[in-house]
Amino acid sequence: MILATEPSLSDVYSVVEEVWTTFLGPDEPIYPAGAEQVPAELGGYDAAITVTGAWQAVVLVSLPVPLAEAITRAMLGMDDEEALAGDDLTDALGELVNVIGGNVKSLMAGPSKLSLPLVARGPMSSSSSLVEACRLDLGWRGHVLTVIVSVPANPTSEDPS
Amino acid sequence: MKILVVDDSRVMRQIVIRTLRQSGHSGHEIVEAENGREGLEKVRSESPDLVLSDWNMPEMSGIDFLEALRGSGSTVPFGFVTSEGSADMRSRAQSSGAAFLIAKPFTPEAFDEALSTVLVG
Repeated sequence: MILATEPSLSDVYSVVEEVWTTFLGPDEPIYPAGAEQVPAELGGYDAAITVTGAWQAVVLVSLPVPLAEAITRAMLGMDDEEALAGDDLTDALGELVNVIGGNVKSLMAGPSKLSLPLVARGPMSSSSSLVEACRLDLGWRGHVLTVIVSVPANPTSEDPS
Repeated sequence: MKILVVDDSRVMRQIVIRTLRQSGHSGHEIVEAENGREGLEKVRSESPDLVLSDWNMPEMSGIDFLEALRGSGSTVPFGFVTSEGSADMRSRAQSSGAAFLIAKPFTPEAFDEALSTVLVG
């Protein structure tokens, strides 16, 4: 039986938009960022989560530091001036990719399982056996974040681990 | 009324507590735990009236937490607040004794609807 191995771009956008609106408030929705607007903001954070099982994928959210801090403050209901504890940022970004990953997973045929999220400062290198299936460049508060769904180049129905 | 909120993410516990307020369920005493194992201990020591738990947690997952609770004879009302709301998981949650499953991202209305089934009086 042939099943879809990747979610549609519009479905992933809808997931991210809904997560954003719910956790960060309806007043400042995300918007598609045109390629010409993508600034080179290096040294940000990557948050990733892995799906294994009937559908296999890695969902990655990459974002610059100011955006990561703004998201964390918004999720915790903190003022812009309040200092963030070290764990808060990792916690918030991990939860963000967890919810996005869980909802993207629910778009696909199951049963599949989510890993715990992984958050790192700087870019994570992905496995060479993965290919980018879906990429969104999105804007929020003048910064750009990227959401990428990668799937195995040669998908199987079993967890290879 | 005492509510135990179990999630390994402090951010998510804050969001759950905030959403409880926004859904009109303010004024309850809130107790927090970071995973299922700690949740089990808090159920024993705090005797909450309701447990709201994440599913995907280190140490002890939410479903293992629920099964351990029911295995020990506890009948405390239990609801999941989780990023995975597949039909398969809803069915497993229900058969293990959960009263409801709220999928993240959630709205205050979804909270109110779920909680009104267990928070009577």
